[in-house]
Amino acid sequence: MTEVKSVCLGGIFLLFPLLAASAGAERIAIRGGTILPVSSNPISNGTVLIENGKILAVGADVVVPGGAREIDARGKFILPGFMDAQSCLYMVDGEPRLLQGEPDWNVTDGLDPFIEGWEEVLAQGVTAVYVAPPAKSGIAGRGAVLRLNGARTPAKLVLKADAAVKANLGVSLNNQSSSLARLNDYADLRETLIETQAYMQRKRRYEQDLAEYEKKKGETGKEDKKEGKKEDIAAKEKKPQDLKRPDKPATDPAHEILGKVLDRKIPLEITAHRMQDILNALRLAEEFQFSLILDECTEGYLVAEEIARRKVPVIAGPVSTSFAEVPQVEYRNHDPRNAGILSAKGVQTAIGVGGRDGLSSKFIVTAAGLAVANGMDKDAALRAVTLTPAEILGVADRIGSLDAGKDADIVVMTGPPFDTASQVVTVLIEGKVVYERKPSP
Amino acid sequence: MKRILVLLLISPMLPPASAWAADGGQVIAIRAGRIVTVAGGIIENGIVLVRGGKIEDVGKDLQVPGDAQVIDASKQTVVPGFIDAHSHLGLSLDALSEIDETVQPIAAEMQVIDAFDPTADALAKAVRCGVTTAMLAPGSRNPVGGQTAIVKLSGGSPDRWLLRQTAGVKLSVAGDVLMHDRKPTSMPGLITMLRERLDSAKSYTAAKFDPSTEVLSRLVQRAIPAYVQAQTVDEVSAATNLISQYNLQAVITGGDQADEVVETLVQQKVPVIYGPLLLYSKDKDLKRPAKLAGAGVKLAFSSCSPRTCAADIRTSAILAVRYGLSRDEAMKALTLNAAEILGVADRLGSIQKGRDADLVIFDADPLDASSRVETVIIDGKVVYQRERT
Repeated sequence: MTEVKSVCLGGIFLLFPLLAASAGAERIAIRGGTILPVSSNPISNGTVLIENGKILAVGADVVVPGGAREIDARGKFILPGFMDAQSCLYMVDGEPRLLQGEPDWNVTDGLDPFIEGWEEVLAQGVTAVYVAPPAKSGIAGRGAVLRLNGARTPAKLVLKADAAVKANLGVSLNNQSSSLARLNDYADLRETLIETQAYMQRKRRYEQDLAEYEKKKGETGKEDKKEGKKEDIAAKEKKPQDLKRPDKPATDPAHEILGKVLDRKIPLEITAHRMQDILNALRLAEEFQFSLILDECTEGYLVAEEIARRKVPVIAGPVSTSFAEVPQVEYRNHDPRNAGILSAKGVQTAIGVGGRDGLSSKFIVTAAGLAVANGMDKDAALRAVTLTPAEILGVADRIGSLDAGKDADIVVMTGPPFDTASQVVTVLIEGKVVYERKPSP
Repeated sequence: MKRILVLLLISPMLPPASAWAADGGQVIAIRAGRIVTVAGGIIENGIVLVRGGKIEDVGKDLQVPGDAQVIDASKQTVVPGFIDAHSHLGLSLDALSEIDETVQPIAAEMQVIDAFDPTADALAKAVRCGVTTAMLAPGSRNPVGGQTAIVKLSGGSPDRWLLRQTAGVKLSVAGDVLMHDRKPTSMPGLITMLRERLDSAKSYTAAKFDPSTEVLSRLVQRAIPAYVQAQTVDEVSAATNLISQYNLQAVITGGDQADEVVETLVQQKVPVIYGPLLLYSKDKDLKRPAKLAGAGVKLAFSSCSPRTCAADIRTSAILAVRYGLSRDEAMKALTLNAAEILGVADRLGSIQKGRDADLVIFDADPLDASSRVETVIIDGKVVYQRERT
């Protein structure tokens, strides 16, 4: 349950408290609009039925049960909520450029649910953001997928913690040439991963040794009972050596989290702008076999085939230089056609705003629109700000498309998403109306 | 000027000569689904006739000459080429190097055109997005930064692209000017310095030749306009005070919070070259261009390239429309308003008889983010054609 409640829902509760309580299931039907489910073809004059925060059915002939609250979407467009996979929303200080992070820094420990302007982002239909610690050098830390549900405690914003661990390759700290920093970043990251391998080996050996010790301890005990005093002397000689409890190696949170990366339980998201850094990231992923997400990927268009061949997903951004603080050396070869080229070459491409601060996330749809203007397929671009980022960050079972069983994170717009005139009129998160446009005076 | 010419002639990066061969008789007929003339309304299913680089005619039922090259844009929209009204486009090979001579705070004699590279990649990027002309300005770190220029983004030799070598003088009362190691170091110091220089420019005579004061004297005689960089309310107020005190023909550039003193701007008839509008601005800031235009201020857009790409003047316009600017006003800001503010409306900014044939064909409404540029024409030559997949 979130703290933010719609005026209308509140009204219904006030008027029919008993009915709402007795009905048990809370149902909402969004009716009559053009549905863009993203995962499948558009449905005109369709209905989305929601029960207890989940999507129950999507289609042209969904039977709406009695007692469901209806949202009239005739003439409107119904879409999944948008997601910015390159956000710094809820971060108090979005851009400390000179900060080096640590692998175990967890972005969820630094969130401000009251941050100014988050409602503006929600009002543009953005229902989820992926936020990582903003360090620009080395390993930044653990990122999370957050919802714009109006929760007042950081924990309740979190849809998925540890969605990825973020690292940087060749990102300049001072806007100067980053050639040397690039070598250092690559070597450092590789070294850290080798250390992690060793750490994990020690840990696994310990676990094996411990298991063996427990087993032997059990067996020796049995043997003692079975064999009586037959091999008494031999056992006494062996026991102190064989059955020494193995020493537990020191636990280190940084290596623990990176161990999960090496075990492919958490992807490693590497921010890399320039071609060399992108290739270096691909090389690391091949060497250590972690699942890689390329972030920013500014010059990705130059090596799109390489990225596609390795099936590495990309969160591309920013599409427009208006989003970022430019000039930065990283954007020297910025090309607005990047996302379109990557996508056309078969790379799983999400679009991030890549903005300077959290407010930028409200323009995720504009970013996708600009990607279309610069050659990206329209459907791919819409997917790039809904389902694709959800897939890349491992939350596609919950959000990203309008499919039965998913969370009811839904946006109703007055027109097609890429039309400048289209306005967001209603936003639902987990079936709760969290935003409704005020009628213009 | 001569130096640039020589440089260009020996430059291996020139486009092939044939592309620019004098071709006075070449006739192009664009059959357009929609023509946004800007100066004369919208024509549905019309024709734009181009001859010798100029618009020969525009209308609904025009006779297409037999020898005309016909461009079928019958499902598309033709608009005048966009004008980036305040830009540093192509001014440096490296986006990070300085474009201001900050050792010397008053640099009126400097000409920004001397740093312009007509082959810079940034120009091609801008053209692909429908920008055909830019006003080049010095940066904002000197009280007097130097002389602005107006160029077309067609490349080639300067007789093709140079519209104005001196289009005005860039002044700045923005915070960027203040430095701790040279004067001015404070806002009052900055204004005082500008006043002293403008006062001495009033009594300037050629007998005591001084190149900087000579240029400033043309400013106080209203022979050339001043482009005054000012962002915050106090900076814009300082700018309008200076403008009225010296009776300058002036334009505010940047103008972030200019709407807060909109009455003064309207009263003094000072236009604003706004922006860039950045995508991390708050809602209230995104409404400012609409407020300015709504109050009657003539509005154009600045990319401040390379801060944003020149193409992002369209992004600024789209955002401004989202936040209340009418589509008509936004289109004017990208074209005719910019041309009028820069004093080149006799050649640019609208689709009408006799104007330069600088045209952009979009597949849909240019003010929807997803609309694509299909074709860009400068002086009657197709300089960009989108590849069809």
